[in-house]
Amino acid sequence: MPLDPRTVRVGLELPPLRKGPITREMLKEYGPAAGDPNPMHVDDEFARNAGYPGVFAHGMLSMGFLGEFLVNAAGVGNVRRLKARFAKLTWPGDVVTCAGTVTAVRDEDDRRIVECDIWTETQSGERKVIGSATLALPRG
Amino acid sequence: MPSKDMIGRVLTTGSATVTAEHVANFAQALGDDHPAYRGADATAPLTYPIAFMTQAMAGGMDTFLELGLNFMTLVHGEQEFEYLRPVRVGETLSLTGRIADVYDKTGSSGTLDFVVLETEGRDQQGRPVFLSRNTLISKRT
Repeated sequence: MPLDPRTVRVGLELPPLRKGPITREMLKEYGPAAGDPNPMHVDDEFARNAGYPGVFAHGMLSMGFLGEFLVNAAGVGNVRRLKARFAKLTWPGDVVTCAGTVTAVRDEDDRRIVECDIWTETQSGERKVIGSATLALPRG
Repeated sequence: MPSKDMIGRVLTTGSATVTAEHVANFAQALGDDHPAYRGADATAPLTYPIAFMTQAMAGGMDTFLELGLNFMTLVHGEQEFEYLRPVRVGETLSLTGRIADVYDKTGSSGTLDFVVLETEGRDQQGRPVFLSRNTLISKRT
């Protein structure tokens, strides 16, 4: 259910979105679709040579999940800004939950502007991709 | 290493037409089955500009070398998008990528170089559609 502009308030939690578990097949599909040829996400040996235990997910894949989560909350065309910091790595097998809370609400013309803190977290509760977003909900 | 003199420089430009196939393929790779991203009248998912920018602006690794970043330790640290309206299938967008900021941070494990690339997408009428801010980080060696 999208956010109701009449009842949205500071502290409200956005409806979470669960994605995954992340598979190597998902990483093999995302790279070419996004034009990202980095072998770090598909070649375990390459990743190990670079000092990682194996391949890890593209940060932009998690950010894409956050995009889906925000469109679920606000509707197509009602997201003004999306920012993400790739704080920690997401691994194959991780279940990714997108979550967020409302930090500010103001009115601007015919829109209710909703600022949010957003993040992804995995099954351990660790936050991986951390950011913020601005939604512009039609006041109707 | 990157230098402050580079701030403001236009790094890349490009232009391409948004195709239904490219958008649907991107949505599919995200596991996002929203109907808005399918068909001839589709709009694009929020992070689609990253795929579009890669397609429309040639350069890739050469660009990173030109920036003076160490490709072996290069990390995409942060990404921000501002949207004026959704990207639509069938439209042609022109991109201009600039170096918006260059800075470094030194800690116990050495010096990290930060380069912020700002890419603006405009439609055929010259109106802005999106702005992308991409923070690249590499360890100075």
